[in-house]
Amino acid sequence: MTTAVAAPPLLEDTDLGPKAGGFYRRQNIWSGLGFGIFLGFVAWLVSHATVQGSNWGSDMVVTCTMVGWVIGFNIGIGTFNAPIRWMLGDDQTHEDELYAAGVGQGRSRYFKYCTDHKVVGTQYLVFTMALFGIGGTLAMMIRTQLITPHSTFLDPQTYNAIVTVHGMIMIIATIIMVSGPFANFVMPIMIGAKDMAFPRLNAMSFWVIFSAAPCLLATFFLGGVNAGWTTYAPLSVQAPPAMDAFAMCIITFVVSVTVAGINTIVTVVTMRAKGMTMGRLPIFTWGAVVGGALGLYAMPAFLAVMTMMITDRATGTSFFVPQVGGSQWLYENIFWIMGHPEVYVILIPPVAAVLEIASTFSRKPVFGYKVAVAGFVAIAALSIMVWAHHMFTTGWAPNLAAPFMLTTELISIPTGIIFLCTIGTMWKGSIWTRLPMYFVYLFLWNFIIGGVTGIYLSDVPADQYFHGDMFVTAHFHYTLLGGAMIGATAAVCYWFPKMTGKMLNERIGKVAFWTIALGIQVTYFGQFWEGFQGMARRVAQYNPKFEAANQMSTIGAYILMTGWLIFLYMMLHAWRHGKIAPANPWHSKTLEWKVPTPVPLENFLVDPVVTSDPYTYGEGVPDGQEVPEFAPVEQPELVPAGAVPTEEPGDPGGAG
Amino acid sequence: MSITTTEHDAHGHDDEHGHGPAVPGAENPGGEHETAFKRDQKERLMMWLFISGDALFLILELFAWFYLRALNVNGLWNGAQCSKANPCTDGLGNPIIAQIPKANPMHSLAIAGLAILCAAFVWLAESAAKRQAGKRAVAGAAGVALLFLLGAIAWQIYQFQVLPFTTIDGAYASTFEFFIGSTLAHLVLLLFIVLGLWVRASKGRYEGGTWYRVRLIRFFAVWIAVSTLILALVSTLFY
Repeated sequence: MTTAVAAPPLLEDTDLGPKAGGFYRRQNIWSGLGFGIFLGFVAWLVSHATVQGSNWGSDMVVTCTMVGWVIGFNIGIGTFNAPIRWMLGDDQTHEDELYAAGVGQGRSRYFKYCTDHKVVGTQYLVFTMALFGIGGTLAMMIRTQLITPHSTFLDPQTYNAIVTVHGMIMIIATIIMVSGPFANFVMPIMIGAKDMAFPRLNAMSFWVIFSAAPCLLATFFLGGVNAGWTTYAPLSVQAPPAMDAFAMCIITFVVSVTVAGINTIVTVVTMRAKGMTMGRLPIFTWGAVVGGALGLYAMPAFLAVMTMMITDRATGTSFFVPQVGGSQWLYENIFWIMGHPEVYVILIPPVAAVLEIASTFSRKPVFGYKVAVAGFVAIAALSIMVWAHHMFTTGWAPNLAAPFMLTTELISIPTGIIFLCTIGTMWKGSIWTRLPMYFVYLFLWNFIIGGVTGIYLSDVPADQYFHGDMFVTAHFHYTLLGGAMIGATAAVCYWFPKMTGKMLNERIGKVAFWTIALGIQVTYFGQFWEGFQGMARRVAQYNPKFEAANQMSTIGAYILMTGWLIFLYMMLHAWRHGKIAPANPWHSKTLEWKVPTPVPLENFLVDPVVTSDPYTYGEGVPDGQEVPEFAPVEQPELVPAGAVPTEEPGDPGGAG
Repeated sequence: MSITTTEHDAHGHDDEHGHGPAVPGAENPGGEHETAFKRDQKERLMMWLFISGDALFLILELFAWFYLRALNVNGLWNGAQCSKANPCTDGLGNPIIAQIPKANPMHSLAIAGLAILCAAFVWLAESAAKRQAGKRAVAGAAGVALLFLLGAIAWQIYQFQVLPFTTIDGAYASTFEFFIGSTLAHLVLLLFIVLGLWVRASKGRYEGGTWYRVRLIRFFAVWIAVSTLILALVSTLFY
């Protein structure tokens, strides 16, 4: 039964008048770029004129230039409008707030400082794809270089610079690939909120991270960072001025991730709809919260270590230089205090998304919901106690190797439990294998390989052999690309209809899926082979005995790239020409599927009150009866959220 | 997931937690669709999360201090082992032949004292706003807090100029300067906030039950005072 209630007028239809928005009216990405370049240029001139003994490319000058760019861009885009007006006691009016939320601006709001969480989520999605595009192109250059032992496609210095930027750009992209698009677009609707807790901070988190990306790309024009993505001291202290831009990118990125993490936690804790208890939260929400909290723990360490790095380089401090009283162990400790939790900041949200998808397409509740939540929390807690396993071969505190080996191996227990929860969710379910589920299967396959090889590396004797070789590279690519990124791809396929209002073409999607699946196995099994043979990481040229394995890996990389390009084509084609998506194409139970598509501003026209958990699939089906085959249904009548009936026609499991 | 509907709660209402209704013309007249209690709840949580992140940064600063002090690589924590016969080397390759002098602790402690006074007056501003003492009382306390804060910033800049060492003189000098750089950055951030508090209080923005937003500023001011004091004590006591 469908009951439609009289909907209040949409906020989008509000007539704001010609003055609403104030400065925001004149600000967009172009004013941001213009002001950023201008202030960066001014900072460059002024710092050169005032810093004693500097030249146009010295560390202090490059640092000041990057600071000028970041601040200038954010002034130009409008990040500081509201704080400055607050400081002057001149608050934004309701009309200003609506303007900032994108009312009356059509598509141009995607290029502005827009506070609507759905716009921010979409901005993140496109930005993340762009980062993956750049990082993937660099990866292809690396693999092309390595197809023969003595390739001259890239010189060693350029090769190292590319390896560094590829690593960091992928780390940044994978950290935000789920928490950016989906924790912003989907999560507030999932919990029945009208927006994120702090919409302006939300927009800020996006544009700040946007301003970080040019700093990273600028490294290519400043001599390149040849120290690898970990930028270990003292290599990084001695690196060209590109390292200053690199560090500024990280510092800016940290600000963004911290703000986003705080916003996510506050949103979930304080903005839930009536009846949405913590025990009723969709599992993805738990993943977003735990990931955000872990980021909040990890990011200050990244900020600290990069700030010290900049001061070592620009002002001559001696944190990491042993000749003048510093220690590279200090760098490694602080870096990995950030670095290992950061792996789980990347992993937990996509794994939670995978659980969400597995439940929807298996028509079953999440198996062991509370255990899975406890598993996320346990992973987060343990991940802050394992950092020194990255330092087994450095000579630091050998007596601590065994305890760190133990804590690292312990972390495989909650990880395994979550894996079992995913399997248990699908077990004996009425599985509806659509495109998102294909990627869930691939996630499970890859993640088990990435996870098991990780246990080898946690073992001190094995790590002594494998450390710094291609086995490690294969392991973390299986985990982060094969696991996290494939999980995120499943999430893209799952939520794409809600975000864009269009359905993906499954036929093209399946071609992309099989190509990607094959590409991953060939690429990274090739790298395991290289690792077993003893080939070191980060080398531009190698002994000919590794050639066969490298050729296998490079061929796999080209297959993988082809798969991603097909996937990208599928997305872009669907975005433009795809079939209109129904409001709830997967017949999911969570709230984001109960609102119309496109989702109106503030999401819910009437406030929802939640009266059951989100996974009531199968309830109402008599014992012994099979759940009927599930198929897409016609687009349901678009009614205000909350007015959607508690029983939906055609729902095989019976709605809860 | 079963859901039912409820009426849209579009405006702030007085509640039992001491928060007044949303007052037109007072704090944020934007017509945001939430109660004052809800705003307070989420802003408080945001502030505590921010402070906890900042506290981790402080812990890492202290870690760097104690770690480098314990390692004393090449005797260059503060150069106590350096001599003419056994010279150490500074960041420019010049010899260091004597112990690096300790920074005058009076500066760091005085700056911490000013930060504490600033926090105390922000607290007074909060209590004035809470008991609806009028905009002059709130603005007055905020103004005094601002003066103390400006004093702390000025003194911090002065301390940079009179340090008996530079950043290149070993690990003690480096971490000490990092401490005061970090303190300065925090004080400047607080300056923008306290300046906003003063301006807004002068315009009567904290009348009508929005005192809890001054409390939010007090949380931050107290945290800055505490962290400044911790850094001052560590750098004074553990030379």
